[in-house]
Amino acid sequence: MKKSKIFVLVLVALLAAPALFAGGKAESDGTVVLTMGSWRTDDVTQINALLDAFSRSHPGIKIQFQPTNPPDYNATLRLQLESGTGPDLMYARSYATGVQLFEDGYFADLSGLSSLESSYSVGSRSPWSTADGTPFAVPFVAVSHGVYYNQDIFADLGLAVPATWKEFLDVCNTIKNAGIIPVANGLADEWDIAEVVFMSLAPNYIGGREGRLEYESGRRPWNDDAVVAAFSAMADLKPYLPEGFQAISYNDSNALFATGQAAMFFDGSWSIGTYEGVDFDWSVFAVPPPAGKPGHVCFHADAGMAMNRATAHPEEAKLFLDWLGSQEGANILANTLPTGFFPMSNKAVKISDPHANAFLALNQGRGTDVRWAWPRLFGGEPSGYELMMYGSIKVITGASTPRQAADAMAEGLGKWYKPGM
Amino acid sequence: MMSLSNRIPGIGPARGKMVFFRREVLPWVGYLLPALLIYTVFMAYPLLSSVKMSFYASQGAAGTTFVGFDNYIRLFTQGEQATRYWGALGNTFYFFFIHMIVQNILGLVFALILSSPFQRGAGIYRTIIFIPATLAVLVTGYLWKLILNPQWGAVNLILTRMGLEGWALAWLGEPKVALTVISLVSSWQWVGMPTMIFLAGLQTIPEELFEAARIDGASGGQVLRHVKLPLILPIMGIVAVLTFVNNFNAFDVVFSMANVNGAPMYSTDLLGTLFYRVGIAGQHPVGIPDRGLGAAIATVTFFLLIAGVRLMQRLTRSKEV
Repeated sequence: MKKSKIFVLVLVALLAAPALFAGGKAESDGTVVLTMGSWRTDDVTQINALLDAFSRSHPGIKIQFQPTNPPDYNATLRLQLESGTGPDLMYARSYATGVQLFEDGYFADLSGLSSLESSYSVGSRSPWSTADGTPFAVPFVAVSHGVYYNQDIFADLGLAVPATWKEFLDVCNTIKNAGIIPVANGLADEWDIAEVVFMSLAPNYIGGREGRLEYESGRRPWNDDAVVAAFSAMADLKPYLPEGFQAISYNDSNALFATGQAAMFFDGSWSIGTYEGVDFDWSVFAVPPPAGKPGHVCFHADAGMAMNRATAHPEEAKLFLDWLGSQEGANILANTLPTGFFPMSNKAVKISDPHANAFLALNQGRGTDVRWAWPRLFGGEPSGYELMMYGSIKVITGASTPRQAADAMAEGLGKWYKPGM
Repeated sequence: MMSLSNRIPGIGPARGKMVFFRREVLPWVGYLLPALLIYTVFMAYPLLSSVKMSFYASQGAAGTTFVGFDNYIRLFTQGEQATRYWGALGNTFYFFFIHMIVQNILGLVFALILSSPFQRGAGIYRTIIFIPATLAVLVTGYLWKLILNPQWGAVNLILTRMGLEGWALAWLGEPKVALTVISLVSSWQWVGMPTMIFLAGLQTIPEELFEAARIDGASGGQVLRHVKLPLILPIMGIVAVLTFVNNFNAFDVVFSMANVNGAPMYSTDLLGTLFYRVGIAGQHPVGIPDRGLGAAIATVTFFLLIAGVRLMQRLTRSKEV
């Protein structure tokens, strides 16, 4: 009898334990424990270092990092928020996805957060602001796009970093003739051909941010010559992609570049860590523009930090958000963020990794903009993202001409896109 | 109540209601209760609430609004969504069709060979045939993805060595072949299931029937056609129903070998992947799921399954002897 009673007591205690230790509770010593949701499962060590640094300067507050499997993040977060078990702080996607969560009432309104105005430019803030300018997240990290290249192969073949698209194709040709795959990218995963190839090279043709705004405001049609030229550039790549590129996935491309079988790879700064320890020297260059046109870099606003509107500790959560924008926060962020993820505040910081600095250096003398489809083109079916993705795939496989791909974009967006939106 | 108590021995009508509940029947109900409870909570309730959800549009924190058949209308008729749905439905039927042809006919052939008395080492072959079915789909899918890789996969290496460079395709990247390849991989993985079921069925056929057939001078082919196949017809029905149900819900093999978009160009998009994209994950990169529309896909699939199962049961019902 006694034994069974103890058993029941233990059982009850075990069942109750998770509820007692769940996020957002004050511990017995008065420390407030906040939880942070994220899609960056790879970054536990780095983010924990950041959060520890925050706790050292704010002894009463502890933040627990609870990342979710990246592809499931949006769905999981939404479920958590809907059922009232959402984290206190969380990574916020830029533009439409983030705006939706704010409009559904889950993200807190951050108007009046002091560091937001002083530490971030309007351009940095806009990915996490509603159309009328209400901020719902603090700009947290940005990523950059470029072309990774194998410096050993370039040296062996006597190649220089190409300055124009024409030179780039010549470089590809020389590499191909030497029996090496010029460009590692493939089509199997679909997203990378759209996000890190098309949206990296398109700004050179449409004229960067200013050009994008002209399309969005309706002053330029979606199938003008610049868009056709961007799709033509995609078609130019076809002979230089790996054999069987239709079935080469993003991971395969990574492997081809990391093993030296491919000389170049269109990718983002998030992959810097992947190539630590490869046995060749590598660096990055910006996607070369056509001759006579200024160069552009896709510097994409990736993650903001938002606060749950229903958090039990709004004061503490706001302290953290404010701290991210302080000089101290920016310094610590620069040193603890995973390599290739860049802090977005305008406080000057030093980044130590040479490859990360090589990426940042691409911004010098070039226009920067976010990925083309992100700001305005997600709001209908078919989305601008899909049209760019399948347009790119079709011109590479030869199923469409660049003109047809551009026309498909104009037709698809014409079904729902309103310039004034 | 009367009829029940009449059928169950030990419950006389004279004993009355109290006894009925207290002594004999209560334990009998008790045995059913856990299963009934679990089934209701984990199967029936979610199913019904999913059907209910298909009539609502999700509005975030504000709750949900009733929209009638709007989700179904959007699913079947509206632009992109309808194109995707009909595409996925066609692909799913094709995927099922390949399984019926390849997996089940191979399974039947294997079972016939394994059940023949002259077969040596049947146990070893049985194990070999069944091994893939014991592995996780994600594992076999990933292995086959490696084997079929155009850069370092074994299939294309072998074809090239044999001088058949022209046959070395980007198997999973060609819209015309990708779904067939994935269906064949899935058939390869699950061929052990129909083999085992058919084998079990063949082994229940009494030896006397074969003896009688032999005495009557029946050839091997005649025994197969007039004795074995008619007697395992109900088993074929079970296999067909299982194949149908499993493949109409298929998701993982495409997820592991292509992607959730059904790459390339939606050619491997099944109802399962479409449902996942629409109702659970949301379309990359926006990732806002449309629960109501997802529930509508699930509900239609559910009724398709019921109809399909009924049809197959009718087709393979054994003729009364």
